[in-house]
Amino acid sequence: MELRNLYTRAKRGAREDVRLYLVAVSSLTVAFLCLSAALLGLSNLRDLAERWGRTHHMSVYVKDGAERADVDRLLQVLSTLPSLTRVDYLSPQLAREQFVRDSDVGGSLTALPVEAFPASIEVEFDAQVSDTRIAEVATKVTAFSAVVDTVDTYRTWFERLGSLLSAGRIASLLLAALVVVCAFAVVSNTIRLSVAHRRDEIEMLRMCGATDSFVRGPFVVEGTLQGLLASALAMLLLATAYLALRSHVDAALAPLAGMRVSFLSPLLVLAIVVAGAGLGALGSAFSIRRYLKV
Amino acid sequence: MAVRGRNETSGARKVVRPFAFFRAGARPDPSQADKPILVMEDVYKYFQPDLPTLRAVNLVIERGEFVFITGPSGSGKSTLLQLVYRKLTADEGAIHFCGRDLGRLTHDSIPYLRRNMGVVFQDFKVIPHWTVFENVAVALEILEMPQRLVRSRVSEALERVGLSGRGEDRTGCLSGGEQQRVAIARAIVSEPALLIADEPTGNLDPTLALDVLTLFEEINQAGTTVLFATHDHSLLAARSHRLLVLDEGRLTEARQGLAGWAARVSWASA
Repeated sequence: MELRNLYTRAKRGAREDVRLYLVAVSSLTVAFLCLSAALLGLSNLRDLAERWGRTHHMSVYVKDGAERADVDRLLQVLSTLPSLTRVDYLSPQLAREQFVRDSDVGGSLTALPVEAFPASIEVEFDAQVSDTRIAEVATKVTAFSAVVDTVDTYRTWFERLGSLLSAGRIASLLLAALVVVCAFAVVSNTIRLSVAHRRDEIEMLRMCGATDSFVRGPFVVEGTLQGLLASALAMLLLATAYLALRSHVDAALAPLAGMRVSFLSPLLVLAIVVAGAGLGALGSAFSIRRYLKV
Repeated sequence: MAVRGRNETSGARKVVRPFAFFRAGARPDPSQADKPILVMEDVYKYFQPDLPTLRAVNLVIERGEFVFITGPSGSGKSTLLQLVYRKLTADEGAIHFCGRDLGRLTHDSIPYLRRNMGVVFQDFKVIPHWTVFENVAVALEILEMPQRLVRSRVSEALERVGLSGRGEDRTGCLSGGEQQRVAIARAIVSEPALLIADEPTGNLDPTLALDVLTLFEEINQAGTTVLFATHDHSLLAARSHRLLVLDEGRLTEARQGLAGWAARVSWASA
C-alpha cells in the first residue's frame, strides 16, 4: 500500500473527526503526563539514593562544652584509622557558614544564631569500605562519651530512602499499567466511534474493491498519530513545568539532599514517545479488528 | 430455462474487455475471452425458510450486452445483483463471472472480483464532504495507481459523465443528478468489465432519469456490459434493450419487449 496515499487518507479521516481526536489526544496527554511525572520523581529519588548510599560519610556531633583537648584527642585517634580519607573539625561558626552557603535561599537564614549549629567532626571513608566497617567505627567513636553527643552515618536515611524508592518503583509500575490500559481504551473507543461515523465511506470502499488492509490502514495510522502526539505533548508539558519550577525546587531541596533535580534522560523521553505511538497503533488495530466487520 | 441473447441495438458482439481475475497477481485466461460474462445456473436464494426470494434463476449475459432487469418491489432485483458482486451468496446453484464460480471465492478474493465491476446505487453512495475528484479517484487509489495517472483518468471519467471541471466541488453541494453522475464516474473510472446499476434513477426526476440512462448506453457503446435494474416503465418503454423480468422470484425474458410482457401481468400495466 502506497505510504503517501495511506497518510493522506489518514489525515483526511482525522480532519473529519477532528473534535473527537482532540478529546482523545487530551485524555492521552494527561495520562502520559502523570506517568512521566512519576518517572521523573522516581529517577531523582534513585539518584538521591545512590548519592547518599555512596557518601560513606559520618558526622560526629560534639557535645556543647566539650574540652578542646578531648576533641583533639578524638581527632588524632580518627586520623590513625585506616581507610579514612578525610577527618575535619567543623566549628559552629563554620557549620553555619557552610549551611547558609549550601542552602542558597538568600538572606533568610543568615539571621540564625551560631549557637543553633553544633560543632562536628566530618569523616569521609574510602569508597571501598563496607557498611559494617562504618558501623563498627561509629560504635567505637560513640564510646568517647565525654566528647561525642551523637554519631550519624546517614544509613537510616538511606534505608528509608531505599524503602521509599521501592514503593515508588511499584507505584510507577502500577501507574504505567494503568496508563497502558487507559491509552488502549481511549484509542480503541475513538477508533470505534470513528468507524461508526464513517460507515458509509467504508461500505463504499468495499464496493469499489478495497481490501481489508486498505480499509483498516488509515485507522491504524490515525491511532498511532494520536498516541505519538499525546506522548510528545506530555513530554513538552513536563519539560516546561520542569524549567519553570526547577529553581524553586532546587532551592528547597539542595540543602537537604545535596543535589539538584534533573530531567528524564533523552533515551527515556524517546522511549515514552515511541511507547505512546506503539500503544496508539495497538489500540487502533485491536479496535479495528473488533468493530470493523463489513 | 437459460435466457440468452445479444445486444439488440446492433446485433454484433461488442469489443470485450480482458478476462477478469480475482486475486492479486493472477493472470487472465485468454480462453475465456469469448465466453459469456455472466452465467447463473439454477440459482436459489432464501431469506426465509421455504420462501425463496430467487427460485431457479437461469441466466446468460453475453459480453457487451445492455440488459434491463425489472419487476415489482420485493421481487428480488437487488438480491440478484448483490449475488453478482458477492454481497450475498447463493444458497443453491452456481454463478459464474468470466468463467469463475463466485460461490468458491474466498473472503480475500472478493475485493478483486469487485475491481472488475462498477456498481451504481439508488442512493448514490458518494461521500458528501469529499470533493468530486476524491469520490471518483478513490476507485483508482484502491488499485494503487500512480497519482498522475489517477488525475488523468479521473478527468476523463468526469468528462464522460458531463462533469468536466467540477473536480474541486464538494459533492454534497451538487444536485441529485450530478451526484449520481459522480457515482457513475467512480464506477467506470477503472474501466470495469461489468457495470451494475441498482435502481440508479430511483431518486431522480424523469428527465434526469432519461439522461442517466443515456449515459449508461454511451458507456455500453464503448464495450462495457451493463445490467440495469429498474421498475421505471418510462425507461423500459423508451429503449428496446433486452428485458429480463423477475416475478415472485422467477426470472423470465420479455421477448416482445415491455409492451408484450405488460399485457400478461397486471402490475406492469398499472
